[in-house]
Amino acid sequence: MHTLKLLSAFLKVNIQMALAYRADTVVNILLNVMWLGWELLTLSIIFSNTETIGGWGFGELIALLGVFRLVNTMMIALIWPNTEKFNQSIRDGSMDYTILQPVNTMFLVTFSRITVWRIWDLVLAIVLIVIGINLSGDFVTPLHILTFILLAISGVIIIYSLWIVLIALTFWFTKFDNNVTILQALLDAGRYPSTVYPVWLRIIVTFLVPIAVATTVPLQALRGELGASQIFMFLAIGIASFLVASRVWKAGLKRYSGASS
Amino acid sequence: MFLIIKRLWQVNWAEQWQYRANLIMYLLYWLVSPIIYLAVWTSIATANGDVNGFTANDFVTYYMILLIADQITSNIIIHIFAYKIQDGSLSGELIKPIHPLLNNTLVNDVAFKTLNLMWLTPIWLVLAFVFKPDFASVTLNGILLSIPALVLGYMINFLLSGTIAALAFWTTRVFSIHEFYYALILLFAGQFVPLKLMPELIQTIARYLPFQLFMYLPIQMIQNNLSTNEIVQGYMTGLIWLVVAMTLFQLTWRRGIKRYSAVGA
Repeated sequence: MHTLKLLSAFLKVNIQMALAYRADTVVNILLNVMWLGWELLTLSIIFSNTETIGGWGFGELIALLGVFRLVNTMMIALIWPNTEKFNQSIRDGSMDYTILQPVNTMFLVTFSRITVWRIWDLVLAIVLIVIGINLSGDFVTPLHILTFILLAISGVIIIYSLWIVLIALTFWFTKFDNNVTILQALLDAGRYPSTVYPVWLRIIVTFLVPIAVATTVPLQALRGELGASQIFMFLAIGIASFLVASRVWKAGLKRYSGASS
Repeated sequence: MFLIIKRLWQVNWAEQWQYRANLIMYLLYWLVSPIIYLAVWTSIATANGDVNGFTANDFVTYYMILLIADQITSNIIIHIFAYKIQDGSLSGELIKPIHPLLNNTLVNDVAFKTLNLMWLTPIWLVLAFVFKPDFASVTLNGILLSIPALVLGYMINFLLSGTIAALAFWTTRVFSIHEFYYALILLFAGQFVPLKLMPELIQTIARYLPFQLFMYLPIQMIQNNLSTNEIVQGYMTGLIWLVVAMTLFQLTWRRGIKRYSAVGA
């Protein structure tokens, strides 16, 4: 409950900050619509030249675009602003005050900045997923939808955990302020089913920087391609990665000694 | 003048070396989309035999050349220069008797590019080993023909980006404007797919715009895929746009400088 109250307080502060820059918000939304148009155009170009890509049809790629945009929104609305603030606070020592707060530091560091207008992007992502599933004409059972939702959540948790580990590394290497660029760099791989990539790239986006686990895998569940054991494995990986990330974060926090000492 | 440029080069080269970790991250970031497009289109071409005449190997060679062409014609001046206007550090450069953008920033950008191409070389060789492109259609003539196109593409892109960066004299939203400009490049330069596979309308518009000189035209020249007519047309359009870009830049720069009052003044 305490956490929820804090979260709503963060949201309020961030809404106020966004309202101070109204024109910027409008410009950003327009740019966002432009990029959506570009994404849809690229898909229509691909499918004017072929029926399927890696066995996936047009509707399925629209749904995949929706899932990709969920992860992308987390990246833009949560990961970038908070990482920037975090890196700054490590450099100038203002991290001291964050640690002194009587709340879980990891929560504080990862949720205090939220680019609120991006919430409409989440709605858009869900609309894309629904339209995509309808277009694909796949036979979808309620069980498929349930596993899809669970795997999408677990995929987002895996990316979140990787982010925690990456920023926690800053406690060891203070100059590591490129910490999330690697995540951003490979993010674009989530736009297409990872099955079309060459093996080495598939290994990178599945195991090293698991973008595909958050995008391709939930869609595979929706298509009914995953067996029960695979589904449980991916869910277990989601939980495990969160536990590992919290451990790494705590170990890193112990190493923190302020900027002046 | 030569001495000034030499000195600027030494300073900027040393500065870029200092940030080599950032540079590698940037390079990695910038490499990913062409490789993804390469993978997507070769997988489609392999599944269907070809895509409108483009074989899997055509796509592999196209994107392998694109990695180099894009690196040559692109620039980072929006990141170097717009900030200088916004935080007022431009003032120090303005009192020097040389044009800040056409000297310091230009040299800085070229140093960045040279270092990037150095890092790119081993990566490119590894990628060539992985994707095994067959460069049979590439001739020395094609490569020689593409060099002026690449230089022209770089100059036009530099001047247009410079114009946009100079808009920072008026507005704080230059980065949004630049994002729009970047979208135009994606659409008309042939980065996502060779322009021939784009819808007819986009191809027609692209012929009148300078963006295809950034990637599509030089790549196709290297691949020997263009008729003499198309080459002449491409160069003519490029030259006209060079004049347009120079004029645009001069106008915005001169007016912007008059408006400029540094932060703190």
